[in-house]
Amino acid sequence: MLIDTTNEKIFTVSSITHHIQTIFKEDPLLNNITIIGEISNFKYHSSGHMYFVLKDDKSQIRCVMFRGNSFGLNFEPMDGMSVKAKGEIRVYEKRGEYQLYVSQMLEAGKGALFAAFEALKEKLKAEGLFSPEIKKTLPRIPHKIAVITSPTGAAIRDIISISLRRFPNLHIIVVPALVQGDGAAEQIADNIDFLNQVLPELDFIIIGRGGGSIEELWAFNEERLARAIYASRIPIISAVGHETDFTISDFVADLRAPTPSGAAEMAIPDKESLVKHLLLLQGKVNQFMGHNLELKKQKCQNLVESLKYQSPMNKILQHMQTVDDLYNRLKLNMKHILTINENIFTKYKEKIITLSPKSVLSRGYSICLKMPEREVVKNIRQIERDNQIEVIIQDGTISANVSGKEEIKNG
Amino acid sequence: MAEKKKKDEDISFEESLKKLEDIVEELEKGTLSLDEALKLYEEGMHFSDKCLEKLNETKKKVEKLSREGDEKYRTEPFSITDNEEANIE
Repeated sequence: MLIDTTNEKIFTVSSITHHIQTIFKEDPLLNNITIIGEISNFKYHSSGHMYFVLKDDKSQIRCVMFRGNSFGLNFEPMDGMSVKAKGEIRVYEKRGEYQLYVSQMLEAGKGALFAAFEALKEKLKAEGLFSPEIKKTLPRIPHKIAVITSPTGAAIRDIISISLRRFPNLHIIVVPALVQGDGAAEQIADNIDFLNQVLPELDFIIIGRGGGSIEELWAFNEERLARAIYASRIPIISAVGHETDFTISDFVADLRAPTPSGAAEMAIPDKESLVKHLLLLQGKVNQFMGHNLELKKQKCQNLVESLKYQSPMNKILQHMQTVDDLYNRLKLNMKHILTINENIFTKYKEKIITLSPKSVLSRGYSICLKMPEREVVKNIRQIERDNQIEVIIQDGTISANVSGKEEIKNG
Repeated sequence: MAEKKKKDEDISFEESLKKLEDIVEELEKGTLSLDEALKLYEEGMHFSDKCLEKLNETKKKVEKLSREGDEKYRTEPFSITDNEEANIE
């Protein structure tokens, strides 16, 4: 059967979309409606507009709240929160989608997922799964790490490229796993158990995924995964979603990274700066050693100098000088004494010359000697008659016999 | 001596680095005897070599692990560029 279109009116996409929009606008209920539901996939755009989905267990509706309206909110909307949103439902013609333009919004209590999250968090906390004391320390220099995540997402690309940029010689093992939907938590947990069994030498394991709605991140809020993280002997880094997303995995893990790339930044050291630091230290060792040697050399030289100063040669030279000095003084004194004595001698010589018997003889005196003794006769009693005598005069001697003597008696 | 050597082989990067930093600090004081300083100098060079050794110990490798049974697995090279091309959205 052929469709006869000759008599039918044909619409363009925009004209029919416009027509639908008119129906929406004319409906009094859609013009002013309050909807209760749970926020999901909340995005706070930098323009100040909020985009999200309101949902219950069966359906969902797109919502937008423009900056002018969101300004007056007295709470911070977030995924999992139950709210009452008032506004009008219109068609977003560009996409042909209907959505709620929210003018006012009130909190209507926590959503079901949020409540489950809170309950599990309290339970595990009470059991001590979050205690800071049981957190394992990551090695400063990792050699071999594993990443459990989707092998096709942006998360694994970011982790690998940042890790290798920071530490070019790293061994990374990618362990593919579902990161959302049924069985995701189970798969991640199984892989954690498996790695503990077959690769216990791993430095740490990163588990994670990129951003998404609370439902998409839900695997990381499941108890099975929390238990596997807790039981792992290999340290676990949880890197789920964005900075603002907190999951149960984050609390149990040994380290919570704000994002997958954040995990690489936090856990992988920057090799270049480490090498720089090492070379700096090495340089310092060299420099201080050189300085130390210089100091010792200086000290040594100083000691040699003072040793030279203390040398016995110095004393010897000093003594030699003293000896020379004394010798000079001795010589000088000797000369002086000689001069004095010479003078005295000359004086006495002159005196002796004047006192010499010869000078007396020249004046006509004579010396009488008794022979043969040649004894100078000074006294008459020395001489007897017939004694032999010799008389010395100025220019000769006279031998004679004593023919007589006479004593002169005076006064 | 043999015992000391064995201990040295097991030393971690952190410990080596800490030792090196302590040695630098000690040398910096300049109050050591020449023998002590020489000994520290040698140790310092030793530990800085150790640290560099640890940094260069590993070879770059990016692998994908596939499980084959309870305790078995195999690995194959994993490239992010291939991956990127294959998954353009």
